Amino acid sequence: MGEGEATGSIEIAGQNQHKDEGGEVGFEAKDQNLNILEFLDSLDSYLILMDSLSSTLRQGWFELAGARHSMGASRINSALLDLKNHSAATHLHANHHDFESSAREPLFRLCKWASSVDTRECCSSGDEIGKEKLQEKFDGTQLRRRGTAPSSELQEKVSKDGVSQPVVNNMVQKERAKSLSVFGTLVSPKLRAAQFSFETALETLVQIANMRSSMLSAFDEVKKELDVMKP
Amino acid sequence: MAGRTPIASKSSALIAMIADEDTVTGFLLAGVGNVDLRRKTNYLIVDSKTTVKAIEDTFKEFTSREDIAIVLISQYIANMIRFLVDSYNKPVPAILEIPSKDHPYDPAHDSVLSRVKYLFSAESVASGRR
Repeated sequence: MGEGEATGSIEIAGQNQHKDEGGEVGFEAKDQNLNILEFLDSLDSYLILMDSLSSTLRQGWFELAGARHSMGASRINSALLDLKNHSAATHLHANHHDFESSAREPLFRLCKWASSVDTRECCSSGDEIGKEKLQEKFDGTQLRRRGTAPSSELQEKVSKDGVSQPVVNNMVQKERAKSLSVFGTLVSPKLRAAQFSFETALETLVQIANMRSSMLSAFDEVKKELDVMKP
Repeated sequence: MAGRTPIASKSSALIAMIADEDTVTGFLLAGVGNVDLRRKTNYLIVDSKTTVKAIEDTFKEFTSREDIAIVLISQYIANMIRFLVDSYNKPVPAILEIPSKDHPYDPAHDSVLSRVKYLFSAESVASGRR
């Protein structure tokens, strides 16, 4: 017991000494731990998102195969892809900043069906969309409505002023229909479902891209610290 | 210029794809397809007839274009040009390896994960402790 108390007091003394001289050493160790935790968290999130992407893509391929089965292989073919000059309806906004900075702002923001809509209204961070989707999944109350997609509801939330919401939704639906029209005027509902699945996959991909950037940034910090520790 | 501070700027950019027909078709349905005046696309459909040289050239082209922010490449295709993908280390465009219908995602081959797995190797841990 005496030894235990002595050990305890030595430990406490050691800690106090550690605190005194090392208020700096203590802070460095704390920072190091935080960086490592951040790296591990982002790595975990990256792997979870990749898993989510895999299942979304699998669903999309399955729906595409179903559409090909009902419409015919000749109607869903890469030969039909539009090679006339046209710009992408869905694109990204990329924040170009010094990757050594500690900015936490997402690097990429997805703008879906933005060609006919004010881009300020339809751009969303993959994180915001991801949180919405995750919440919907856990709630289990989201029903897929024919001809519309939950992302159109998100468009309603994003577009707060300026262009009226029904107009924005109409524009988005027109862009979707334009994209589907490559495969004919009347398309299978499975093709629409596949379109929605791949839109969801795009949102996940933006989250993955931002998580990748966070992971590599945290990795660089940890690596710097390890290099400093080496003799 | 001396003393130039980095400015966060937002610019519109494309998503490029190097993948099989179904994957490319699916993402084109989602509206990412872009064809410019010279009929250059932001995607390459890889099939059995596509050569490794064509894939390499397309990868190099997509990673050097300033209007592309993300390059999606099926992992099995990335494995064909693994040396090129692993040696790429710029932040933008970001290279994302995605699964394909016939080849599920394998974290062991992901170029980003192979860069960071160094931290989990016995050597790095041992050298950190010395």
